[in-house]
Amino acid sequence: MKALKLDRNAIGQWLSAMAGERDIYVPAPDGPAKGTWTLLTDYSMPEIKPGVPARPVKNFLFPQPETLLKFSTVPTDPNCCLPSEPEENGRKNVVFGVRPCDARSIGLNALACKADTYYQANMEKNAIIGLTCSQVCSTCFCSETGGSPMGTEGCDVSLTEIDGSYIARAMTERGEALLALAESSGKEVTDSDISAVEALEEKARAGSDEIRNPEEQLRAKDLMELYNAPFWQELADRCINCGACTFLCPTCYCFDIQDETLHGKGRRIRCQDSCMFPLFTLHASGHNPRGQKIQRVRNRFMHKMKYFPDRFGPISCVGCGRCVRDCPVNIDIREVMRSLLHI
Amino acid sequence: MGTTSEKNWEPKIVAFLCNWCSYAGADLAGVSRFQYPPNIRIIRLPCSGRVSANMILDALRSGADGVLVSGCHPGDCHYISGNLFARRRFALLNNLLEFVGIEPGRVNFSWVSASEGEQFAEVVKEVTDKVKKLGPSTRLVKRIG
Amino acid sequence: MSTVNEKITEKIRSEAQRLLSSGEIAAFIGYEAGSLPMSVRPFVARKPEDASRLVWNSFCVLNLANYLPALLKSFEPPRRPGDPPPEGPLPKVGILATGCWSRNIVVQIKENQVDRDRVVIVGVPSRGMVSARKVKEAVGERDIQACTEEDHSLKISGEGFEQELNRWDVVRDNCKTCVHPDPVIYDILIGDPAGERQVQDRFAQVDEIEHKSLEERWDWFADSFSSCVRCYACRNACPLCYCPTCFVDDSRPQWVGKSTEQTDTMLFHILRAYHCAGRCTDCGSCESVCPVGIPMRLLTKKLNKDVLEMYGSEAGMSLDEPLPLTTYNPADPQGFVLTEKSEKGGDR
Ligand code: SF4
Ligand code: SF4
Ligand code: SF4
Ligand code: SF4
Ligand code: SF4
Repeated sequence: MKALKLDRNAIGQWLSAMAGERDIYVPAPDGPAKGTWTLLTDYSMPEIKPGVPARPVKNFLFPQPETLLKFSTVPTDPNCCLPSEPEENGRKNVVFGVRPCDARSIGLNALACKADTYYQANMEKNAIIGLTCSQVCSTCFCSETGGSPMGTEGCDVSLTEIDGSYIARAMTERGEALLALAESSGKEVTDSDISAVEALEEKARAGSDEIRNPEEQLRAKDLMELYNAPFWQELADRCINCGACTFLCPTCYCFDIQDETLHGKGRRIRCQDSCMFPLFTLHASGHNPRGQKIQRVRNRFMHKMKYFPDRFGPISCVGCGRCVRDCPVNIDIREVMRSLLHI
Repeated sequence: MGTTSEKNWEPKIVAFLCNWCSYAGADLAGVSRFQYPPNIRIIRLPCSGRVSANMILDALRSGADGVLVSGCHPGDCHYISGNLFARRRFALLNNLLEFVGIEPGRVNFSWVSASEGEQFAEVVKEVTDKVKKLGPSTRLVKRIG
Repeated sequence: MSTVNEKITEKIRSEAQRLLSSGEIAAFIGYEAGSLPMSVRPFVARKPEDASRLVWNSFCVLNLANYLPALLKSFEPPRRPGDPPPEGPLPKVGILATGCWSRNIVVQIKENQVDRDRVVIVGVPSRGMVSARKVKEAVGERDIQACTEEDHSLKISGEGFEQELNRWDVVRDNCKTCVHPDPVIYDILIGDPAGERQVQDRFAQVDEIEHKSLEERWDWFADSFSSCVRCYACRNACPLCYCPTCFVDDSRPQWVGKSTEQTDTMLFHILRAYHCAGRCTDCGSCESVCPVGIPMRLLTKKLNKDVLEMYGSEAGMSLDEPLPLTTYNPADPQGFVLTEKSEKGGDR
């Protein structure tokens, strides 16, 4: 596949070339929206901090909210209560500077969202330009979940910074087409560029993380033994059942569907939901199968570490460390994973 | 609420009136033929103490251009002190809404007794004038497609 | 030489150990060390040997009173609505309480969420807690790998940097303007009372916004609340929020929509703050736990200011005083009422 070497200038030109075809989103470096993916308007290499931005890339795949259909509730309207397609602005996006962990989450979620036409359409709509990590932050643990700071999975183009320039590698056909727009400003990659990237990949593989392939070990374990593990109570003691972990997690994909109606108009939307909320499983009868906090806390981790790998193979966590960083009570999924592995 | 063409825009004002004083005041205004603008939509409640911030904000969310909350004069509450408790809550809400940038005059409070038909008509006029000056409400309005 | 916090930690451990082993309490709510620099975790000690895990430092930002009603309930025999209250003495719970936390416990007692006789309050005068967000900003958002705390300084280090910060510079805004650092009720007091603090401009942050024009205030509200993810950590970290069904979860009528559209996010914040009116102690728990740094505490602080100015009251200062919104004074200000304006002139 195509690869180019782009200096900062060349990246700027590439961004403005892509902006003709697509809207480009990058994490806001500061201000009240810091870490939120915002539309790029100044076409120069954006400042991208080490580690993951506050908000995950899933916000492009599960927009908050996403209108699924529209309807009228006016009885005299001949189309009353008949669903119609929401209008689209038709623009496609480039999500730029996505870290390997986030990029990898798109494919993991797709395992569960195979039949989800909305998710599939959003994958179609959003091209991912990844940026590999030169610094592994204290909350990062991608390598323990099957990823790598040098990972390219889920990226259409992957960028690696080497001495202030970027080696851009197309990973998909879509990426190839996007990278073609940089042809005029970029340089051909040399063998030494390639070997520099390979050296970084090698270094990442050799990383000292003690856990490898946790999914295999977890799949081999007895579900009920994990479910009845003694440590859940202690987690439940302190968890406040907020949605910080789930809403910021790139691999939490649960959603809620709501019909909103007002003054004769209606729409069906979906928005992100959290298994930490009691409402998540509340039945119309009033019964709640996960009515207690311990059941909800356990569910989040069991889903990621046991139910998901049993059903789809990998664990449903890419090790981005957002939940570790942002949990108000320091519930650390790395510890939970270790505890489960020790059972 | 509903769509309004710019030119002929008439504000829609939701009025939460207590059953015992202000609603009766409104009734008296009608019976006595005091003229007041037709912009208000009355919702009758047992007491101004029943009016919660949720309701007031729900009116704004649904697109009301103005809100009026009216109860008995302090001391005249049918339930003795409902309006006195409410008064504290309203004062705080009123200030909080201004604090976050809701135009003063969108949400209004008054005391109108059952015998004050004329005063009721005046309050409605005053509120309608204020809201007309402010123009259509845009803040805290929910929009669906 | 041990630091103030290390000494407090020692005393907390020995008190908790004593209370748990004597059987006086069934559980003790405190903090234990966390897995990241600048993190601690709320911890329920249930056995005497758990007491040695308890710690105290400047990062104990989540108000522990938050856990009290549910923990007390967990020791009650299950009963359905309408069943008579259980007979006989029920197990007690021990809890740490700074000035603001103790005031929240007072509020919980007054609102019948907590039975005073079932709590053993271990008071700890507060020196002010540190804002991890401020620390991160102070080191240029670099990845922090270690933090050691002295009485008046913090040593922060990470890959390729080490920085010493003055502790008070990174103390949370609510703590900087706190006037009641000492617990208002307690059974055991650890450490020396700090005494009432004199703070000029306690409401400076609020005043600053009040002085803005209407349009500027709206823009401030819209901008600074725009990245809220509606995770409700702010609500769930607040000891005042214990409704079995929160207004955000009501569906008929649905007061606020579920997504992060501006109107719904704003309504959530206005109503959440408003539900805390006259009850909020400015403990800062809400602001500290927000994963995206929304300044929602300023809304409750505004309410606190008005409650103090109009009704002369601060939440939870005493068990004998009614909460300001559960009472009234016939002479309460009412200049905001249309029909009163003419008589009262410039009254607010
Ligand atoms: S978890 Fe891995 S891929 Fe993600 S930001 Fe950290 S180092 Fe990069
Ligand atoms: S972020 Fe932490 S406290 Fe909040 S629900 Fe998740 S694990 Fe619980
Ligand atoms: S579970 Fe935590 S570490 Fe794993 S992907 Fe989600 S937020 Fe990242
Ligand atoms: S609203 Fe915030 S500051 Fe006030 S009591 Fe609740 S958590 Fe504390
Ligand atoms: S303000 Fe912060 S803590 Fe509260 S819901 Fe929004 S993101 Fe969550």
